[in-house]
Amino acid sequence: MLRRTSQHGITQAARRPLKIFASDPLVGRTFGKRTRIDIANEELEVGPVGARLEVIDYDGTQNCFYTPVNLDDHAILMQGGLDPSEADPRFHQQMVYAVALKTLENFDRALGRALRLSSGSRKGGKRYPRLRLFPHAFYGANAFYQPDLNAILFGYFKADAKDVGPNMPGQTVFTCLSHDVITHEMTHAIVDRLRPLFLEPSNMDVLAFHEGFADIVALFQHFSYQDIVREQIQRTRLDIRTPTPLVDLAQQFGFATGGGQALRSALAKPELKLKDTMIEPHARGSILVAAVFDGFYEIYQRRIADLLRIATGGTGTLPKGDLHPDLVNRVATEASRTAQRVLDMCIRAFDYLPPVDVTFGDYLRAMITADFELVPDDEFNSRGAMIEAFRGRGIYPDGVGSLFEESLLWDVGAKLKPFDDDILKWIGPLFFRGVRSFDRVWEHPASQPSEPDPESQQDLQNQLNQQSQQNGQSETAGEDEKIVLNFKPALEEALRKYAKTHANLLGLDDDRKIEVRGFHPVFRVAPNGRLLIELVAQFTQVDKEVKDEFGGIPFRGGCTLIASSDGKVRYLISKPMRQAGQDAAREQAGKARFERQRDYVDMCDLTSPLTPYLKKNELQQRLVELKNFANLHGG
Amino acid sequence: MVTQLPITNDRTGATNGREVVIRMYNVGFGDAFLVLLPDGKNQRRILFDCGSVEAAEDAPMDSIVDRIIRDVTDEDEVARIDVVVGTHRHKDHVSGFARSAWDDVEVKEVWMPWTEDPKDFDARRIRETQSRLALGLNAAFAAKLAVADNGDKKKLQRCQSLVENALTLTNDREMKVLHNGFSGNPERRFLPEADKDKVYQRVYQTDVLPGVKVHVLGPSRETQVIRDMEPPKGGSYLAMRAFAESETGKPPAPFGVEYQQKTYSGGGTLPDKDKEKIKRAAELSDLAVAVALDKAVNGTSLMLVLEIADTFLLFPGDAQWGTWCAAMEDPEWKEMLGRVSFYKIGHHGSHNATPKKFVESMMPDGICAMASTLTRGIWPDIPRAPLLDALSARHVNLARSDDPDNIGNVFKIDEGVIETRIPL
Repeated sequence: MLRRTSQHGITQAARRPLKIFASDPLVGRTFGKRTRIDIANEELEVGPVGARLEVIDYDGTQNCFYTPVNLDDHAILMQGGLDPSEADPRFHQQMVYAVALKTLENFDRALGRALRLSSGSRKGGKRYPRLRLFPHAFYGANAFYQPDLNAILFGYFKADAKDVGPNMPGQTVFTCLSHDVITHEMTHAIVDRLRPLFLEPSNMDVLAFHEGFADIVALFQHFSYQDIVREQIQRTRLDIRTPTPLVDLAQQFGFATGGGQALRSALAKPELKLKDTMIEPHARGSILVAAVFDGFYEIYQRRIADLLRIATGGTGTLPKGDLHPDLVNRVATEASRTAQRVLDMCIRAFDYLPPVDVTFGDYLRAMITADFELVPDDEFNSRGAMIEAFRGRGIYPDGVGSLFEESLLWDVGAKLKPFDDDILKWIGPLFFRGVRSFDRVWEHPASQPSEPDPESQQDLQNQLNQQSQQNGQSETAGEDEKIVLNFKPALEEALRKYAKTHANLLGLDDDRKIEVRGFHPVFRVAPNGRLLIELVAQFTQVDKEVKDEFGGIPFRGGCTLIASSDGKVRYLISKPMRQAGQDAAREQAGKARFERQRDYVDMCDLTSPLTPYLKKNELQQRLVELKNFANLHGG
Repeated sequence: MVTQLPITNDRTGATNGREVVIRMYNVGFGDAFLVLLPDGKNQRRILFDCGSVEAAEDAPMDSIVDRIIRDVTDEDEVARIDVVVGTHRHKDHVSGFARSAWDDVEVKEVWMPWTEDPKDFDARRIRETQSRLALGLNAAFAAKLAVADNGDKKKLQRCQSLVENALTLTNDREMKVLHNGFSGNPERRFLPEADKDKVYQRVYQTDVLPGVKVHVLGPSRETQVIRDMEPPKGGSYLAMRAFAESETGKPPAPFGVEYQQKTYSGGGTLPDKDKEKIKRAAELSDLAVAVALDKAVNGTSLMLVLEIADTFLLFPGDAQWGTWCAAMEDPEWKEMLGRVSFYKIGHHGSHNATPKKFVESMMPDGICAMASTLTRGIWPDIPRAPLLDALSARHVNLARSDDPDNIGNVFKIDEGVIETRIPL
């Protein structure tokens, strides 16, 4: 980001410090802990309204707005952000904005590109230039991402006078004051940009992945705040070598979005494994979180092993009394760094995921492959720890012979030819635009100059995001979808031609239309300073014959291709269709996927108490209803 | 102990001592099953439920109750049932017990799920939560119905019929009979029972049924299961209704007036259309709330397997996924489910009370199954056709109460009552 200058020519600070509550208001006992986080110092309007996020404090229940905060107010700047307060809505706005932007920055960095959060809503509907955050949208114990409004709505409610749990009876609880709720919902919104089709429940793992991944980001982002980890480690000194203090900490954070209970029990029970009877998305997702947490804990153990030896003189027994503050600091630093490393690993995996029908096993393979490419020498064997942790939780990828790192790497697509010149000739301008987007993403949408080149009015990434978003939307609306790349129809055509030529090898059906879901360059800096450049292309196909039977969700296939900057295919991540002509193995896999989707629908029918009471038209939409976050997160 | 006389009355389904007789009464949309077990020259009788929310044609509940009582009347003109089972307090399972005719029926034991135990703290809380919810929803829907237009009316009536089914309160006549009624001063047992160390017993045995092992597969006492019995959705829905009826018509504002603005002074803009969407975004659907209550009550359902001389009879009540899942994951119960020779089809043959896995890969081929059901206009998908097809695919001998003309040859009809005999 280019540093701004003040009107007097003074360079602005690169980062803006803001205060937040660090523990969860929904876990009453420990509520009140606070911390300070730094986020990019972007230009802000009152609200706050930045380049990509817009806080609007509208309350639908009361039908009024609450006074918006001006974070550039001198008094606020002088004190590094408003002090945490439950009673002042302006602090709530500050916290929602700060945590949301922090989450976005974590994604930007790990993905090596600047994400845009604008959206087109339904066809012909309004286009929102930013993701909108409503800190007090309604009365209710719920908070959810609403794709339709390109918004995250947070609720507030009075703790039940009869069943208060840890809260005070009658006390108003604000979901927007929970770091983890904000991060969780932001992650839903971001994932929906990256993989809009992950909202289609086509197997048991898809919605669970959405939930689990959102909790992973919330958990590890939280662990990356060193002062909080430090305090916990000092307090629970004796437990330094068991996961308990870190699990306790995770519990204090909350995860109150409906998955809280499930996650708590998963973290606390190392023997809890993934089973095919776990179908509720939060319960299932919590196993994914637990797996990543186990991996994190193992890596952290390896990283502090030497510190512990030094501290105990090799005996392994810590002296009585308070731990030496230097030791606490060092251990806390390692814990936070490990958390950041794991968070990066988890987010980076995204470019290596298939465009449709994701499973937990796919996620493990994506995580391992992405990390293998970027960090070939893995000092603490983090990948090994992660593989072992997934195995320990009963998560096994389909179609791999063993759980060695090499067998978990995605298929290298050996038979695929490199991208041809029709595609490669666009790579230069794409790279240029990609690099520039790091700065331009911080400009306010309205003030962004239009492109001088009439052929490319908007950058491709933006265009693609928008289009795929529109697609997701039109699915909700039940309309037919259509991908159009305004930017360089020629590039889209070239990509489609490439996919058509290799259709069977990619697991695609010759007779069906191939859609180009996305094409973007990725820039990442490895720990050794190496710049890693990759091209990521996604193709999908759809079979709507069984849509009614499958509760409104069609059968989809597709693939993600990862290529190096010279166009050579490095990895192929394929979800085959049922007909893949020449490639018998893929066709088989496609048929198996189809059957899996059918079984999943049956399982949903069995576990949903609603199904018997639906009318025919409702039955045909019953799985579409599942992807409604308002239902998913409702109490 | 044995007070029963030798059987001479043929209608009570005399057995040759080596078979169990199961009779299904055509109550319409509801359940009433009589199980007759041989005991030497005598017979032991178990009645599973007696209720209906929509009677079958020509068979009002009074006539069904009379018929059951007639079927259990001994030569000395005394009606005797060894065990009455109230699987759960849904009207379609217990409404028939409201009849005064039961006062003279001699019963030795009444079995109910642990959630009916008047002395159990959790049970009381669950009952209170469910009753409060049923009453609240009933009032809320009635108020809504009064002002609804025709289209909404139909939808609301669907929801209300679910709530009405759950509107069985502790002081309603049918529950009073189950808890305090019948002659013979029957003992009340709440299953599963805890031993003195608070360990819940998987098997229940009683002198009343010598040689019978009763496996109690549900309702479980797991925290997760208990949570499902108290749907928080319902609480939120009622809280919102209460606010709507309060003076201000809405919940209290979270911040003082000094912070409230009618015209927004921030940088963002919000079209009126979006405001409307936000207002509606968090609304709970009537059906979802009604269904949450339905599921909660079904979740309290007793799920029993009767084991008699190595023969296993499965009576799942209306148990839903939670109970089934726990049963299928338990190694011992799983093995047992693979050996059943009779299955009372759960929840009138609906989608969510019979796991596909049980039908396709657990239960033995060619067993005998009975579905007490009625296709109602409001729930056209109960019973569910694909489930019945899947049962046929396993060569199940199936009898539907609403289709007595198409029963297999292992059944016989006795004045409208479908009967089967399971050899021991």
